[in-house]
Amino acid sequence: MKTRTPLLLTTILLMSSVPGYAREPREDQGFPPPPVPDPVAFVVPAGLYYVTDTYVADVVATSDATTVYSTTTVHQSTGTYARVIDTVDTGASSAFDGMAFNGRGALTNGQALAGTYYENFVLTAGGYVPVSIVFFQDDSETKRGQSVPSSTVAPKASSSSPPAVTVTQRRDEVPPSPSTRGQVPAEPARPTMRAGISLAPDGPTLASAEVLRGRLVQFWPRVFANDVAVPIRSWRLLSAEPDRLSAISGSAQPFVAQWIRMPSPGVSWSLRFEIFSEVAPTERLEAVISVTVRSPALVD
Amino acid sequence: MNDDGGTAALTTIVMLPLLLVVLVGVLEMGALRAVAYRAGAAADLATIVAVGDQDQFELAQSGRLRLAADAADVARDYFARNLLATAPALGASVSAIAASAEIASFPIAPSLDPRTGARYDRPTVRLIASIPVRTPGFAALLMPATTTVTIRSVSSPR
Repeated sequence: MKTRTPLLLTTILLMSSVPGYAREPREDQGFPPPPVPDPVAFVVPAGLYYVTDTYVADVVATSDATTVYSTTTVHQSTGTYARVIDTVDTGASSAFDGMAFNGRGALTNGQALAGTYYENFVLTAGGYVPVSIVFFQDDSETKRGQSVPSSTVAPKASSSSPPAVTVTQRRDEVPPSPSTRGQVPAEPARPTMRAGISLAPDGPTLASAEVLRGRLVQFWPRVFANDVAVPIRSWRLLSAEPDRLSAISGSAQPFVAQWIRMPSPGVSWSLRFEIFSEVAPTERLEAVISVTVRSPALVD
Repeated sequence: MNDDGGTAALTTIVMLPLLLVVLVGVLEMGALRAVAYRAGAAADLATIVAVGDQDQFELAQSGRLRLAADAADVARDYFARNLLATAPALGASVSAIAASAEIASFPIAPSLDPRTGARYDRPTVRLIASIPVRTPGFAALLMPATTTVTIRSVSSPR
């Protein structure tokens, strides 16, 4: 009887057991999926549209007494977006004068050309980021003894064939294609990228900085496309000599450093960063800032 | 022997007041020096703290250290706080002494101190204060009961 009792209990336990759904360790070893940005958080600028025609060059065509100022484009989509931000008449000023990467020309009498300003955007994980402004000139003038501007603004979609007489290309070496601007959006072929380091999220980039010994200092790697700040994909510290630092790589977070030791008199240290941006993820940029550590001291 | 003993006693009686005067003077002078040293240290610490108060916005804009706008007020406040430990020996309240101190900040370098004529190559805080110190020993010797000590402190980031 004594030997049968344990066997009986074991049998009852086995029969009453329930299959357990054990965790498979390998299933938990992977990284969680990246967070999907909330589409509600995106702010879509008003009037934004997808670019299908890209800016090529400004064209000045002269036929007899008439000079036509137009813009050539190429039917090409580079995955960017644009919107109209201002339409100006001949001689009228705009808040965007001087901001377009291709400038705004003038008639022979000095009056600024009529045309339209477009702002170009790229879509990043953080939303639509402005990268540049381009000006589409659309004007003409006719000589009647003297240079008299016609003051005609023709932002309509009519594809008027350009005068086939003298064509002077002001910018880029791309052969001019038929000038059909109409409502086409514009985009620069490739923005000029620049990297730098600032001491504030929206501060100017600095070549050098003085810091106090023992203070935590934030260094913000930044990238500019045509002098417009763009989001950073990643940064990595290449060389530095701080006594304490937050991390040697990151993305949206700043690099935080602290110096405890004082350098020799006249000695500055350099922080060198490798930066990749969202606009040009494959383009490697470098930024350097020279750091001079100082400490409050009595003056004799 | 009796004549010598009388001479010694007479000499002691005559010289004792003089010895006491010298002793009191030396002790009071030492105490005064100690108070002046502690007041000087209070001023040094105050200016150093004020120099550490930098304008963060200006630093972000230019990358250069520049004193905060309230650097002189910070120095005055800390000067008063640091003098509290010496208050019993002072002839005026610490707040009055700190309020009357000549404290100037030179946020931008180089700069020239119109008070002293000194040239500063870095942002600087300068403090000059006249501190009345109680000197009862001098008063017992029919001298002023309060002696004024002038201290000067200058600090900058180096």
